Amino acid sequence: MFNGLHAVLYRELSIYRTRALKQMLSSSLSPLLFLIAFGWGFGRDVTVGGLSYISFLIPGLITMNSLNQSFAISAEINISRFYFHTFDEYLIAPVSYASIAIGEAMFGVFRGLLAAIIIFVYAFIFHVTLSFNPIFFVAILLHTFIFSFLAVTTSMVVKDHSGQALVNNFAITPMIFLCGTFYPIDKLPYAFKLLVYVFPLTYSTKVIRASLTGGEVSFIYVGLMVFYCIMFFLTSLWALRSVEA
Amino acid sequence: MNDNNDILRVDGLKKTFLKDKAAVDGVSFAFSRGEFVGLLGPNGAGKTTTIKMLTGLIRPSSGAIYYFGSDFQKESQKTKALIGVVPQQNNLDRDLTAYENLYLHAILYGIPKAARKARIDELLDFSGLTDYRNRQVKSFSGGTMRRLVILRALLHEPKILFLDEPTVGLDPQIRRVIWDFIVKINRMKNTTILLTTHYIEEAERLCKRVLIINDGLIIVDGDPETLKDGIGRFVLEVHKDDGIEEEFFDNRSDALAALEKSTYPCKVRGVTLEDVFLRLTGRRINV
Repeated sequence: MFNGLHAVLYRELSIYRTRALKQMLSSSLSPLLFLIAFGWGFGRDVTVGGLSYISFLIPGLITMNSLNQSFAISAEINISRFYFHTFDEYLIAPVSYASIAIGEAMFGVFRGLLAAIIIFVYAFIFHVTLSFNPIFFVAILLHTFIFSFLAVTTSMVVKDHSGQALVNNFAITPMIFLCGTFYPIDKLPYAFKLLVYVFPLTYSTKVIRASLTGGEVSFIYVGLMVFYCIMFFLTSLWALRSVEA
Repeated sequence: MNDNNDILRVDGLKKTFLKDKAAVDGVSFAFSRGEFVGLLGPNGAGKTTTIKMLTGLIRPSSGAIYYFGSDFQKESQKTKALIGVVPQQNNLDRDLTAYENLYLHAILYGIPKAARKARIDELLDFSGLTDYRNRQVKSFSGGTMRRLVILRALLHEPKILFLDEPTVGLDPQIRRVIWDFIVKINRMKNTTILLTTHYIEEAERLCKRVLIINDGLIIVDGDPETLKDGIGRFVLEVHKDDGIEEEFFDNRSDALAALEKSTYPCKVRGVTLEDVFLRLTGRRINV
């Protein structure tokens, strides 16, 4: 039962070990630029909902950076599917599709958590004080699982690399810019608000921000995150079952 | 239930890709233990599609596959442990070492942790790859990668081994090394082997039985010698201005007599499986 999960993690972590430094460096640059541009450049004297802008921004960057890293597994699965065909090894092995999906997703969660830790280091450097609600730990796990299962799903559904780029440009990038990572969504026009409440990132951001800034955590939103997590787990199973090499 | 003496039985297997004509158009065959079978045919005949269906990489449009009498579609996860696959492309993790690639496979196929290392080292020794154990695969030559892929497919001791074009793109010397290795597997481990190839020489040398596939259909099934006997043992090649014509004879003296009479440049040679294919389809395999 756990062979597939174990094998996937063994492979991903063995490869990650050889690239850890490069990947940590590349996932630490863009949030730093956001911090400099929005934290210092633009947000120095701005307050949002009673918080200094940088305190508002840090939890947003945590969701953004962990999303990016968790979802990045889709590009790597694509490479192993389309170019090196190493993914076929999983498909012909006597393991369940669920164990492959969960194994890949756990690796995505691992990368997402590392990306979140980087932002905590920045928060320390920029003297941003955060308060920890234990719900944060549940939320960051749900958040990274949601986008890792979404990554497994899309990497199985797309037919080539450009299909994957399309998903990134039309789903992931708009989510990052619209779902309240950089500004409160109640400032958006009504039509956009409707759109934004379909995206799972909206709920991750709200819950994670509330849990780190002493706000009130909505359990409805936590429930919705659980819902998205289960839904994308099921879509990843469906996608793995229907994939043909 | 099916006859359990058959390690693999295939009934009317068919695969049609979207809006296309059938890539495999209803093939049926059965293999028994220890058989060495070649699936021979030109590029695009349906060899790889057949192998992919037999190994669970693509789903058949219709037809059934039975391993040891049990339905592969229904019991695929369990059955996959009995199958070894050498795909056309060397799908190794290039950033991992030979050992790590094999270790990954050992986990996937549920080889107990205590046995993994010994099993891997034993097989590295069997294939003469011990020196490559701790080197990253990306530094390997094509022939070494190929041997490692074959070795990996053997790690879980499959009952049947599928080799898809095992020597394509390799130089003649390495090709012979691979052939010897495959024959050794078949003899020493009594593993049933299905090998696809479009190299006539490969099929003639290795396979005790040949299925010739063309346009998704199996047009011949038999042992190479009988198939060749069926069209005559000798060929007279007549090199005419617009191409080569072949005439078939049962013995050398008849062929030589015909050669005497011909006004074109001629050559007498023994028949090959390619001639069998040519006779049946009117075209050559390697075009």
